[in-house]
Amino acid sequence: MVLTHTTNHTYNHPFPTVTLAFFLRYCSPQLNPFANHVLSTDTISTHVDPDTGRLHTTRIHLKKSRMPPAVMKLLPTSITGGASDKASYILETSVVDMREGWMSTESRNLNFVGVLSVVEKQTYSAPALSSTSALPTPTTHNTTTAPSPNGTTDVATTVIFRSRLGERIRSLGHSQAHQDGGEGGWFARIGARGVQRSIESLASTKTQDQLGKSREGMKIILERLRQTGIIGVLELRKMARERSMEAA
Amino acid sequence: MSQSLATQCNELKERYDTCFLKWYSEKYLRGIGTAENNECQDLFKEYNKCLKVALKERGIDKLLEEAREDNKENDAVYFGNKK
Repeated sequence: MVLTHTTNHTYNHPFPTVTLAFFLRYCSPQLNPFANHVLSTDTISTHVDPDTGRLHTTRIHLKKSRMPPAVMKLLPTSITGGASDKASYILETSVVDMREGWMSTESRNLNFVGVLSVVEKQTYSAPALSSTSALPTPTTHNTTTAPSPNGTTDVATTVIFRSRLGERIRSLGHSQAHQDGGEGGWFARIGARGVQRSIESLASTKTQDQLGKSREGMKIILERLRQTGIIGVLELRKMARERSMEAA
Repeated sequence: MSQSLATQCNELKERYDTCFLKWYSEKYLRGIGTAENNECQDLFKEYNKCLKVALKERGIDKLLEEAREDNKENDAVYFGNKK
C-alpha cells in the first residue's frame, strides 16, 4: 500500500546558491520564518568522496509533530502510545556533485515508521546545456543581478507515503495480538487496508501544503543570499543567536 | 543554525556549522573543496563526539540502524537500484 506524489519546480537562482540554501534552510527562524516547527538540526556525518569529489552529508532534524492529528485520531492508543503531539526525528541524506551540477537529497521519518513512513526524494540540477533544453531564460524582472550562465535550478520532488499498520499488526502476529485481543478486533472491524489508505491520503494532503511552505522558505533564503551573500547570512545568524542568548 | 538536539553540544555545533558554511560557499562551490582541504574536520570530530553520546541516550542510534535496514528493503522495492 503506497501513495506517490511527484512535483517539479524551477528556482530563479543558480544551482550553487540553491544547494547552499538547502543547507541553510533550517538555519534560524529569523532567516526562514517557515522553519518554526524545526526544533533542532544536527550533522551526523559528512565527507567528500576523494574519487568523485561528491559531498555526502547526513543530518537529523527534530520537527514538531509531523504526524497529522487526524492520523493520530484514527489509531488506537496501543499503537500511538497516546503521543499525539510528539516530535518526529527526520533523517536527511544528501549528495552534491558540483562538477556534474546535481544534488540529490532524501528525507525520511525515523519514528512512527510503523504507522506511516514518509520518504521525500529531491533532485536539484542546473538546466542541462544540451541543445534541446538550453532555452534562454527570460530575466525581465531580474536584470540587475550578476550575470550567471545557469541562472535557474530545476528540482524534482517525489514523496512516497507508506502505511504499514496492518502489516505490523500481522507481523506481531499471534503472540501479541492474541494477548490483548483488542487490536485484532479493532482492525478486523474497520479493516487494516481501509485504515492504511486513510492514513496515506491524509498525510499526502498535509504534505502538499508542507511542500509549498518549504519552497517559500527556500525562496526567502535565496533572496537573502542574493542581497547579502553568505557573509550577510552568517552575520544575521550570529546576531539572532546572540539575541536569543541574551533573552535566555 | 538552529539548536543541536543536545544543548551541551550547541557550542561545538555552532563552531562546526559556521566553518562548514564558509568552506562550502567559499571552497566547495568554487570547485576547490576536496577531501584533503576541509579545514572543518577537526571541529566536526569534536562536535560528533558530543553528539554521539546524546544520540545513544535518546535511543536515536537504534532508530538509525533500523532505518538503514528498512531502507535496503524499501529501496529495492520502490526505487529499483538507482545510484
